[in-house]
Amino acid sequence: MSAVDPVYALGLAGVLFVLGLLGVLVRRNIIFVLASIEIMVNAAGLAFLAAGARWGQADGQVMFVFILAMAAAEVAVGLALALRIRRRFNTLDVDDLRKLKD
Amino acid sequence: MSDAHLLVLSPYIALAATAVVVMLTTAFYHRHLLLAGLTATGLAATFACVLVAGAEDRRATALLRMNDVSLYFIGLLVVVALAVVALSYGYLGRTERRFGDFYTLLTLGALGGAVLAASAHFASLFLGLEVLSVSLYGLIAYPRRRPQAVEAAFKYLVLAAVTSAMLLFGMALVYAVSGTMLLDKVASAGAGLAGWEAAAYKAGLALVFAGVGFKLALVPFHMWTPDVYQGGPAPVIAFLAAASKAAVFVVLLQSLAPLDPQRGGVLVVVLSVVAYASMLAGNLLALFQQNLKRLLAYSSIAQLGYLVVAVVSSGAAGGARGAGTVAVAFYLTIYALALLAAFGVIAVLAHAEGEPEALSQYRGLGHRRPALALVLSVSLLSLAGMPLTAGFIGKFFIFRAGAGAAQWGLLVVFALTSAMSLYYYLRVIITMYRLEVAPYAAALATSPGGMSAGRRAADRVAVAALVLLTASTLLLGVYPPVLLRLIEHAASVFR
Repeated sequence: MSAVDPVYALGLAGVLFVLGLLGVLVRRNIIFVLASIEIMVNAAGLAFLAAGARWGQADGQVMFVFILAMAAAEVAVGLALALRIRRRFNTLDVDDLRKLKD
Repeated sequence: MSDAHLLVLSPYIALAATAVVVMLTTAFYHRHLLLAGLTATGLAATFACVLVAGAEDRRATALLRMNDVSLYFIGLLVVVALAVVALSYGYLGRTERRFGDFYTLLTLGALGGAVLAASAHFASLFLGLEVLSVSLYGLIAYPRRRPQAVEAAFKYLVLAAVTSAMLLFGMALVYAVSGTMLLDKVASAGAGLAGWEAAAYKAGLALVFAGVGFKLALVPFHMWTPDVYQGGPAPVIAFLAAASKAAVFVVLLQSLAPLDPQRGGVLVVVLSVVAYASMLAGNLLALFQQNLKRLLAYSSIAQLGYLVVAVVSSGAAGGARGAGTVAVAFYLTIYALALLAAFGVIAVLAHAEGEPEALSQYRGLGHRRPALALVLSVSLLSLAGMPLTAGFIGKFFIFRAGAGAAQWGLLVVFALTSAMSLYYYLRVIITMYRLEVAPYAAALATSPGGMSAGRRAADRVAVAALVLLTASTLLLGVYPPVLLRLIEHAASVFR
């Protein structure tokens, strides 16, 4: 079986991670911020899969399952908060959240 | 898995069982006293389990390293959670109508922290951190009538999720080049790597450090702290400030403990820079702060900076390693006591419409609620490091550890910024004992009589907890050996 060189997989994961980070920094809509976070987390998951494949261990895949569960939990809370923000402030723009400041 | 293993893991089993029992009970009964009582009983049982587990075999699984240091901090976390239950009981009774989820999340948060405190592997580090963080998102957003709470929770969620992703990606990179996820092997796995592997290893460690630095609110990862502290409900912030930071700090301490001082050069430099920046930025930003919760946020950034000084000292000199660990464990304990008491006072003074945040609302508090003003004064003096409070002993130990490692530059900044911090802590205390009484404090004087019997009892529970916290701060300041013997025994695992 011709395996993919883990360096390429890690490179792809790195590109996805940076894209997700840029998304968090650039997008102002709460839903897109949450989606960008999801991309970052899954990029880390992909990197774990590549690393696990490199060493022929199951650890990478185990970590990926953990990451899936954690991403689901995080996004569930995130969407619940987005709903409450929408109801209370009538907006989904993160820039409108500025009640807390000096 | 044998009986001995189960005994060592019993604190986790007790905490998880408490969370499940409270969650199931919430589905059928909404009595606040019942839910808080169940949580408190579960936490007390967990504390008993910590004492029992201390006498047994220490290697539980590959993921958890149950040595005396981790057991000490699990015990501390449980005590902090118990104090938070006592403080939340009155607070939630005044502001909320549903309580069960709060106590479930609090117990789960303590469970996450306990996993962190003993983590010996990337998997347990990650799982503990996430269980703690996701519980905290829910806890911060819990008060429904507090619009700032949602905003604080969302800000915390976005930043925590981004840094969790960084932490994970860093872990993946380190694992990809080293093939190990055990924390005590990771530190030495960098030797002999070259080319892209060396670069990936360094980038991975930097990302892991960023993730940990965010949780500890060290400069330059501190931006979230004032907003979250200001927006979140006071008892939750007490838990966040005391328990979550202590748990993450233990990871730092435990994973740096096997670090070879000679090869730890870059790490020591990075940690020193972070310590300088946190001490200076935290204290300078707190200097003219008019909002007590934000003031405590900046002060906690500075306090964590002091703690990093102790970690640097524990890593920098082989002989002084025990001294650094003792300093960290002692300081984290007294820092937790002081912050619990400070946020506890804010929680007791809160009413359904909000919490007193502006310093001006505290004018004259010393005449209206002398006990609360005294509690707040002692905890602030302890944070400032005044003699006769535990803070002085804590700072003395950090200084001793730093001097043993000859970190003179750090110690000079440490001493200067500590002196500077006295200014803003004293400002709060002087405000409280001013003769003119702010309308907020004036309203307090009439309220105890007008309170229902249940609320008065809840108020008394919280005040009793605060008095206990203050008494231990004073006791440790006058007679530290009570705790010190325990810590020195625990720290001997690193010698």
